[in-house]
Amino acid sequence: MADITFDGVTKVFGDDIRAVDNLSLQVADGEFMVLVGPSGCGKTTALRMLAGLEEITSGTLSIGGAVMNNVLPKDRDVAMVFQNYALYPHMSVAQNMGFALKIRGESKPEIERKVLEAATILHLTDYLDRRPKALSGGQRQRVAMGRAIVRSPRAFLMDEPLSNLDAQLRVEMRLEIARIQRLLGVATVYVTHDQIEAMTMGDRVAVMRGGKLQQVATPQDLYDHPANEFVAGFTGSPPMNLLRAHLENVDTMSTLVLGRQRLEVPAQYAASHDLPDSGAEIVFGIRPEDVEVLTHDEAYDSITTRVERREALGSEILVHLSLLDAGDTNTFVVTDAGSLVARPTTLVAKMGPRADVKAGDTLSVRFASDNFHFFDATTGLSLRHQTTSMATA
Amino acid sequence: MTTSLTDTPTDREPRPSNKQPRFKFGRVVLFVVMIGIAIVMLYPFWVMIATSLMSSAQFLSGGGFSFESWTSLTATIPVGQEVLSSTIICTSSILIILLIGLPAGFAFSKLRFRMSTLVFLGIVSAMMVPLQAILMPEFVNVTRLGLTGGYAGAVLVYAALGTPFSVFLFTTYFRGVPDELIEAGIVDGLGYFGALWRLVVPIAIPAIATVTVLQFIQIWDDLLVGLLFIQNTGERPITVGLAVLAAGRTTSIPQLMAGSFISALPAMVVYLVFQRFLVKGLTMGIDR
Repeated sequence: MADITFDGVTKVFGDDIRAVDNLSLQVADGEFMVLVGPSGCGKTTALRMLAGLEEITSGTLSIGGAVMNNVLPKDRDVAMVFQNYALYPHMSVAQNMGFALKIRGESKPEIERKVLEAATILHLTDYLDRRPKALSGGQRQRVAMGRAIVRSPRAFLMDEPLSNLDAQLRVEMRLEIARIQRLLGVATVYVTHDQIEAMTMGDRVAVMRGGKLQQVATPQDLYDHPANEFVAGFTGSPPMNLLRAHLENVDTMSTLVLGRQRLEVPAQYAASHDLPDSGAEIVFGIRPEDVEVLTHDEAYDSITTRVERREALGSEILVHLSLLDAGDTNTFVVTDAGSLVARPTTLVAKMGPRADVKAGDTLSVRFASDNFHFFDATTGLSLRHQTTSMATA
Repeated sequence: MTTSLTDTPTDREPRPSNKQPRFKFGRVVLFVVMIGIAIVMLYPFWVMIATSLMSSAQFLSGGGFSFESWTSLTATIPVGQEVLSSTIICTSSILIILLIGLPAGFAFSKLRFRMSTLVFLGIVSAMMVPLQAILMPEFVNVTRLGLTGGYAGAVLVYAALGTPFSVFLFTTYFRGVPDELIEAGIVDGLGYFGALWRLVVPIAIPAIATVTVLQFIQIWDDLLVGLLFIQNTGERPITVGLAVLAAGRTTSIPQLMAGSFISALPAMVVYLVFQRFLVKGLTMGIDR
């Protein structure tokens, strides 16, 4: 068993830069855990602490139940794949892959056998005698993977291993890494800033921001039930639309007030959410795919919008819509620095590739009533009744 | 505007052929200049060789050919012994310089420790202190240590003079080596010394060659330290031997030239062998 546990782990650089703040996270044996977040969110620092390349300021880090805080990197039995691969330039592919085994003092035939085994998995057998310089980006990436695999470590640590590859290769290697990880069943912590990688590769995804863990959940859970505004705005492409609105409660009926337009809140949300009192401000979230553009005007539960911009992506069209009669209502977007930035009230909807729509058109849209999200206007936290998916510090 | 940006590759005309002659003219000028420089550089060697192949009498009368100065050279000064001494002094000093410079450069470029910048600046500023300025106190120190007889004192002085430069060069060179490379080695099971020896040193061959060549030329050609710090006549280097030759009551110029040629040869050989590394080492960091 080699599960990984961060227990209140904190890293402070200098006197006051808290790169990782009280991180508590468990990675089960064999699990593929993705750490995701914008740059500077502390995900790489967390990984480096796990590798032993960064000292832990406070908290406990354990692998397989043993505390690792003061254990040297070489004694942790973890393998790391670096963003720029960090292949040894003066060694051949085979020497690169077998280097850790050589240091460990394994016999030459044993090293050769393991290297060949890993090279077969990674389709590298034809390149074993080459120097890294003579390899393409994708091949280098695979050698870096191979170097990790041959060691049969207790955990794989990967620091944005795909970010130096072109888009097509990235998709290929994404599947490849996920395949190999499942094949070997080794606990893996994978750091990325790309939410698509996070969603497609991870068994579970941990979203970080400003050194703090925001949410840990399966990709689907993360997508369906974001714990806060930040996670909602980070996941999905394009991310969730977040609109600032007021709530009006009359008897048991709640209504969202968006500028001069009103939208009835289905009764089910009163049971599943802690909706605030009448008149309170609230952040209403709706995913772009849950915004339905109506072909006929004026359905009773529709919102009228104007098309500001259209982006044709081939398979679909993204339309950027602004609410009509928005008044002074603004959406607020939380930036990486943690500050709130006001944006005019716009939302993005997805339309079919042949949709006849152009900037300036007036469109009625309806929101899928099963997929509303509500967040607290001040804290940004989801108003949904807390479930196990929630894991904020 | 956007179209001109996108179709330049297809629209571009083939390279005009009338550029060719101008290109050649430039080459000719370059060649002439380089030949001129080569003549200036090689002339002293020509004079040295030509003069050494005369007897003293022939030299004074202005012509002739003789091996006399070469055959009598070994009788006048112990050339073999002196070349050996120079080699021992050079090798030992350079070894010390590398053994201190490599780990120091690694530490200054890759490890985080208190006051590292200050210490580094202190060491590097030592490069600005000329030998002559510290010669007296250094001599007193070495004498008190009782090391003025044989190689040891001179080797220590040369090593002390060469180390700041090597620390500086290795630090700059290692700064260009990605941290991840060393971290990968550490995760793979190496310690810092292992990473230095097995990962960094193999990559640093150009820098090592640069330090070796520059220090070799400097130490091999130096007279002052050898003259002062090596007092055993049996251990003095070739430069001191030549000085003795030149200071004799009747100096044979052809003999001096023969000795000078022997003295200059190793430095030239070392330079020629390592020159491709040398250029790489001195220009490193420029093309990164």
